[in-house]
Amino acid sequence: MKLALLDDLSQLRLGWHWNSMRPASWAPPGPAIPERESDLGWARVEPVRTLRWLVQHGLSLPVTRLMANPKVEGREWLNHLDRPALLVSNHVNHPDTPLLLYALPDKVREKTVVAAAADYWYKHRWLGRAVSLWLNTFPFSRTGGPQAVLSSSQQLLKSGWNLLVYAEGTRSPDGRLQPFKPGVGYLAVENRTPVVPMHVRGSDRIMPRGWAVPLPAPAQIKIGKPLWPGRGESPRAFTGRVEAAVRELAAGSRTEGVKGSWIERWRATAPTRGLL
Amino acid sequence: MPRPGAVIEVDRNTPPTLFHFGEGVRLERLPLGSRVVYGPDPIDPIGHPERAIRRALSHPLEDDPLKALLRSGMKLTIAIDDLSLPLPPMAAPDVRQLVLEEVLEQAADAGVEDIHLIVATGLHRRMTGDEIRHIVGDRVFTTFYPDRLYNHDAEDPEGNVYVGTTSQGEAVTLNRRAAESDLVIYVNLTQVPMDGGHKSMATGLNSYQGIREHHNVKTLLGSLSYMHPPDSELHHSCVRQGQLIEDTVRVFHIETAINNHSFPAIANFMQKRETDWTATDQAAYLAVKQLTDLAPPSVKRQVFHSMRAPYGLTAVHAGQVDAVHDQTLAAVRRQLGVEVEGQSDIVTIGVPYIGPYNVNAPMNPVLVVCMGLGYLFNFYRGQPVVRPGGVLILAHPCRYEFDSVQHPSYIDFYDEVLAETTAPAEIEKSFETRFADDQWYRQLFRRSHAYHGVHPFYAWYWAAHALSYVGDVIIAGGERETVHHLGFKCASTLADALEMAEQTVGRYPSITHLRMPPIMLADVR
Repeated sequence: MKLALLDDLSQLRLGWHWNSMRPASWAPPGPAIPERESDLGWARVEPVRTLRWLVQHGLSLPVTRLMANPKVEGREWLNHLDRPALLVSNHVNHPDTPLLLYALPDKVREKTVVAAAADYWYKHRWLGRAVSLWLNTFPFSRTGGPQAVLSSSQQLLKSGWNLLVYAEGTRSPDGRLQPFKPGVGYLAVENRTPVVPMHVRGSDRIMPRGWAVPLPAPAQIKIGKPLWPGRGESPRAFTGRVEAAVRELAAGSRTEGVKGSWIERWRATAPTRGLL
Repeated sequence: MPRPGAVIEVDRNTPPTLFHFGEGVRLERLPLGSRVVYGPDPIDPIGHPERAIRRALSHPLEDDPLKALLRSGMKLTIAIDDLSLPLPPMAAPDVRQLVLEEVLEQAADAGVEDIHLIVATGLHRRMTGDEIRHIVGDRVFTTFYPDRLYNHDAEDPEGNVYVGTTSQGEAVTLNRRAAESDLVIYVNLTQVPMDGGHKSMATGLNSYQGIREHHNVKTLLGSLSYMHPPDSELHHSCVRQGQLIEDTVRVFHIETAINNHSFPAIANFMQKRETDWTATDQAAYLAVKQLTDLAPPSVKRQVFHSMRAPYGLTAVHAGQVDAVHDQTLAAVRRQLGVEVEGQSDIVTIGVPYIGPYNVNAPMNPVLVVCMGLGYLFNFYRGQPVVRPGGVLILAHPCRYEFDSVQHPSYIDFYDEVLAETTAPAEIEKSFETRFADDQWYRQLFRRSHAYHGVHPFYAWYWAAHALSYVGDVIIAGGERETVHHLGFKCASTLADALEMAEQTVGRYPSITHLRMPPIMLADVR
């Protein structure tokens, strides 16, 4: 086998003459592979997925538990999701993402992509790659038109990935909830996708704005009942409904029906709802 | 602008050429003066597929817009191509999913309650739930599976109806649900010119009685190229059957075409011409080569079959089947066509790990023949790349390896039938009926995930034209005993195979290598 490897290496070394003239009969070199929008697709295929699983289960989740001992409420809503959903949360600081991922059941976490600001996380190539590997992020343009954002997000949703989106568009300057951007509503209405409202509290104490090192502090994550865009409901109206649901979670009263019967949940996640 | 296909002549500067070798790859040095044929680069996909689909449905060809055909209270059946295409399977979302979602959206708006979705498997195996989910996407799957989204059953006596007989005496049957529907919408994916058109309904929703009318040695020998429908008796027969079906039930046809971007980024080196390889491509090749040399077959299979191709949608048309199919074929030819000057004494092809009938299964020896002589040989228009009486050299490990769930009748076909004879006409005459009537195969076909009992026969007939055309077939790198059982010659290396071929075609032969996949369609002048 060693010999085969040596043979292969020598075949590769001797087979290509990159410095010599390219014969006229060859087609000019060209971009044989079409340029695709960079959504870091490699981060969502094997073996990167397995590597991420190892990183998350070996490091990220235990550290999150150690630092924040997060309390999670409403996880049961996610157990009954039978199609890709938009997970919409408030955003206070960087630890939000590991905390929210911690709150998700394993099955959902493994199929969740995090929308990360392209102009912040992907400004440096290696930083972008690292967060994509660790948290399964994809570059979400905050400056492009709604169509550009919709296109790559739609592809992910249709490919079976849940999308974790911070609907405020940026971190809250003072911890209070900012008005939601309508992109969430567009995405949900266009794709008939359920939206799961989430609220995270405590990350500002783990990493106050401007700090680089996290501190131990308790955190709390609440997950609400999935919402569906109604028939004929405008994206803006639906965004308003999602924002109200997150505000209710923030106010402490969980969205109505968390303790409801299985029938209610069953209906809430009924697949036909998306078609109506 | 993507580059068109190319034919390059091997000289001292030409890098070694990539050969697919089952679940593996090889670099081979072809003799100086040999030709290597490359397909065109992938053409740019449609930027917004959903919008293109909506436009196709609202502006169909020679038919009314879909919205006008849908009404509350109607019985609607949607038939879908199965996972035998495209190859490798398409990375999600599959274009069929995009089409289905749009069609169902319109059906929901129209208030159509009675909808069934049928995977048009013909005599292929039943698709598993996960495979259907991959084709139609989560949303459609969770809404309809399994009650109203299911596989066609070509052996269900109650589930198929006799439609009539064509002018040439060919019997036609059709899935009962489709036959009794007010409207059938066929959602197709065309990767090669052989697919689509009338063939979709005439094979996908037909039963054994109907399919055997064109899947037989006489018809297939009369099909000079499966990839050029005007020259294919098989397609003429399908058109006759399809026209009869259209007289029975209202059909709205939706066809999609994709580009040939067949490999994900990690396997870019398989997509690119060797003359364009970079050091990264070399490294990827080296890694894959070592993996496939060292790993056991089951691991290799797992890796290769998990590959999903990032195809892009290049055309979508809806409406009347002939008008739609003409447009689809034009799009497919635009992507695959490459001009080749003259025929060769010897043609070499690396047979890849996957063919239409072994998705998620090993490619057994019968399927190697079907793939090499039935499909890859036939990727031409006009005349084959190899001259009459020339030699076809296929590179494949060709192991005695079968999937007992998917291919039970293949095992018996190989062991019993090929031990007697390899002549297609003789096989058809002496053995086909026994396999067709076998209750055990029928049971496995209907209840498990097995191909129909006669499927290995069809796979073998598929090679009939090539077998009658070429002078010799050599399988380079194959398992000796298995290759001999198939009736071919075996060579340890490509160099040996070329030397053996000289005994048939003479010294200093002309050699052409078809670098597939990505697939191409050689237009031989």
